[in-house]
Amino acid sequence: MNPATQSALIHGAVYGTIVCLAVLTSIAMGIWFERKFAGRMQSRIGPTYTGPVGLLQPVADVVKLLQKEDIIPRDADHALFNLAPPLAAIFSLAAAAVVPFSAKVISADLDVGVVYILGVGGLMVVPTFMAGWSSNNKFALLGGMRAIAQSVSYGVPLVLATMVPVVLAGSLSVSGIVDWQATHHWFAVWPILPGLPAFLLFYLAMLAESNRIPFDIPEAESELVAGITTEYTGAKFTLFYMAEYVHTMVGSAVAAALFFGGWDGPFAPGLHWMVLKTLLIFVSVYWVRWSLVRFRSDQLMDLCWKRLTPLGLGLVFLAAAFVQYWPGGAR
Amino acid sequence: MNQVITVTATRQSAVRGSVDPHLSIRHYDPDADLMLLHFGPQHPSTHGVFRMDLHLDGEIIVKATPYVGYLHRAVEKLCEKLSFVQQTPIVDKNDYVAPMTNEQALNMAFEKLLGVEVPRRARWMRTLFAELQRIASHLLALGTFCIDLGGALGGGSTAFIHTFRERELILDLFEEVTGARFHYNTHTIGGQRHDLPAGFAAKVNAALDIIEARIPEYEAMSLGNAIFQARTKGVGVLDGQLALELGITGPILRACGIDHDLRRDAPYSAYDELVPKVIVRQGGDTYARMRVRFDETAESIALCRKAIDGMPEGPINGYKPIRQPTMAKSAGGQVYVGIETPRGELGTFVIGGGDTPTSPYRLKIRPPSLHALSAIPYIMPGATVSDAVAILGSLDPIMGEVDR
Amino acid sequence: MGYFIDSLKAMATTFRQIFRKPATYEYPEVIRPRAERLRASFALPDDENGELACIACMACEKICPSQIIHIKSEGKRESPVTGKKRQYADTFVLDLTACIGCELCVQVCNSNAIYMVREQEVPGFEREDLVLNLERLRANAKSKTAAWAKGTVLQEMQELPKAEKKPAAEKKPAPEKKPAADATAAPPGDEKPAPEKKPVAEKKETPAPAAPADATPAAAAPAEAAPAAEAKAAAKPDAEAKPDGEAKPKEAEPAKAEGAKSDAAKEASA
Repeated sequence: MNPATQSALIHGAVYGTIVCLAVLTSIAMGIWFERKFAGRMQSRIGPTYTGPVGLLQPVADVVKLLQKEDIIPRDADHALFNLAPPLAAIFSLAAAAVVPFSAKVISADLDVGVVYILGVGGLMVVPTFMAGWSSNNKFALLGGMRAIAQSVSYGVPLVLATMVPVVLAGSLSVSGIVDWQATHHWFAVWPILPGLPAFLLFYLAMLAESNRIPFDIPEAESELVAGITTEYTGAKFTLFYMAEYVHTMVGSAVAAALFFGGWDGPFAPGLHWMVLKTLLIFVSVYWVRWSLVRFRSDQLMDLCWKRLTPLGLGLVFLAAAFVQYWPGGAR
Repeated sequence: MNQVITVTATRQSAVRGSVDPHLSIRHYDPDADLMLLHFGPQHPSTHGVFRMDLHLDGEIIVKATPYVGYLHRAVEKLCEKLSFVQQTPIVDKNDYVAPMTNEQALNMAFEKLLGVEVPRRARWMRTLFAELQRIASHLLALGTFCIDLGGALGGGSTAFIHTFRERELILDLFEEVTGARFHYNTHTIGGQRHDLPAGFAAKVNAALDIIEARIPEYEAMSLGNAIFQARTKGVGVLDGQLALELGITGPILRACGIDHDLRRDAPYSAYDELVPKVIVRQGGDTYARMRVRFDETAESIALCRKAIDGMPEGPINGYKPIRQPTMAKSAGGQVYVGIETPRGELGTFVIGGGDTPTSPYRLKIRPPSLHALSAIPYIMPGATVSDAVAILGSLDPIMGEVDR
Repeated sequence: MGYFIDSLKAMATTFRQIFRKPATYEYPEVIRPRAERLRASFALPDDENGELACIACMACEKICPSQIIHIKSEGKRESPVTGKKRQYADTFVLDLTACIGCELCVQVCNSNAIYMVREQEVPGFEREDLVLNLERLRANAKSKTAAWAKGTVLQEMQELPKAEKKPAAEKKPAPEKKPAADATAAPPGDEKPAPEKKPVAEKKETPAPAAPADATPAAAAPAEAAPAAEAKAAAKPDAEAKPDGEAKPKEAEPAKAEGAKSDAAKEASA
């Protein structure tokens, strides 16, 4: 093992652990904030009893969930059933590896970070379908089926939306894209035409990827009881639950990095800016979630293939045209 | 029941052609691998304990068979045992979203059987209560429908809690009058048991003002929203003729373009003086059903205002106050009384006489929700599982009333 | 695009809620003001002599639709306080687990010996905690706020007021058989001249409903006794307590009463 690889491994291990812990902690806070936020939107107060202003509510949630009996349905496929939740947690966290939280805090500064994120994000469908299939439950199966259809559909706009900053910055590395934005403009601000729509497209695709309303079709608790997680209890359910939040959080971080200049910002250290932007996007996801009803499965496909995919293609072309023809746009 | 009724459905026909609800699965497609999904009775969106057997081809419903009876409580039999005056609190539990109208229907039937007249003030109060109850019930229907569409952990639940919050205002009003929020037992044979408290009119008007001001908010959260419309328009289309044949009444029938409302067509209580504007919509789909309820809410608010402003003075009871269970005796006879509850025609059929003159020989309740559910085999096929939830929600069944 | 704009509208709606006062209360700490008539639990009060007011007349036990009231009495005995003979409820069990809160037991109690309390019952840890026996019911009467409804209050509210008594008595039996004969029976119940005049005046004004009743005075004779007795019974609580200020003055206006009458007739024919 050469020294470069060795140091990259150590660096990755140290920062990876830090990032994982940071993400999980911020998710705990995110859950608390979501509950309070949703409560206020619903004319309620939200959690109050667990700790000061209910701050320990996520802890209470997790403790409660871990105490539950672990039930495996008799006719379930045990191996897949048990494997799915940890896989979901791993895949959702893995994408955080290439997200630059500041100029230095990045677990693995891959040259092809964007491709890696898309690949790992796309893998999430595997544990989801594993769970749906192995549960031996019709509701779970339907949920798994929907998850595959949704994930396949939304992979395309997601890739296209990601291509816009890649083309504009001329880099596949996430930190490269952030660097470019730090020296020029944030892509959501300039060039605004492919930039802002591309962000919205990415945002929608991210909602769909992380199964958030209005695209939470695989779960669809009013239709499919709890979708893929119908048969899961206790710790395994916790892992799925966590994976969903992690997925959203990492997606928000990627969106912040790709379109809002990541750690770039005045007055404060880069880490602060990155965390602030990520949390703002994360919160907006919940704002959307608690405001809208969900689409039907076929409407989602319709929206995706007939509207968002052409839009994404157009945006990539626009980005390319901007780079090529706009004075000063060319690198 | 083997008569085949052609359903003119837009979306359904696009998917499956015209639907034969009694389609035998064997004749459907011998090669198709259909999945039987037991939808309910323990399912979050079945509005109680209701079960449908859905035969699914992928996600598309090929056949739907409704099953009721999980909440059967033998209310009708119980009413044969209890005396006339004891039954009001029992039927409160039938349609537990609109208990006021249950009491009203039952007591109107008894009044007709016993030949009791109701003083004018009591009739106006009944109208006021029925309309307030209609607002409350429609608000709840809208809220639960949003939950069906948007999930218990999403925008649907927000809309639900918003409508629930305003429904509370009405329950508070009922609490002011009767002391109970739900099972009031305020109607009695001949009128009302509780008179309106002092300053009630101001409270009613204040609550109605709040609800009226928030109607645009519901609109933005539900019916006015494009996602909501995409989920509901053209889904579960019910033909007007079929609805008539199935005995469907209320908002569901009016959403099919059939102008039928007992409040106007066969006025009871004070509806001869307070004539409601009947909301009719064409289309017969899920959206039209919810839209009818939504518009009726606004109409009921106007009606409540009129009722509380013109509330006449006078006695509230035209019969003896309840002192013992055996106070009301019937010599015999049969009566049927139908009133327009938020869900449609709630009929009460009573046969008096028998061995015990103090209780009905037979009491039959015709619940509107039961008839609404009978449309399921006709309108479900061709829809998806997601639509099934929307359609069921738009029928607004109350299982307590269906199973009795 | 419609999706997008409508979604923003919905989000604006939800956002607006943040600045509103929450509709909920943190229950055990903040107790929401409840209506004066709220019915929650039960209480058995003492009478003015400090004895249990309940005389075990069994009216509530009989009327209870869910049959949850069980009273036992060991017969009449002398009161240690007043020396008079009266009946006592020696056991009184009210099973709150099966109570449907219909208030009929309060309604039928002529001696105001049972009423409902406004304070919510503290949830018990055992089923037995919800079975209210005599001690618990009497303790409730001392410690909890009473609801507005009492037997006599309710009955008086529902009773046709004095001014209205005669025409109403007429009105009630009109479809069946009853005559103006009990118009003569009613006045002895109350001595006041004023209320007596009104029915007469009213009768003149509204001959329509009265006419068929007048036509058959003979049929009245057997059925007459009951309403008369009832009128007397109603008169008594009226005389001793007049808390029901609302109902009284309103009925004085004959014009309105007449309206009520003809409308009632209309409904009967419909």
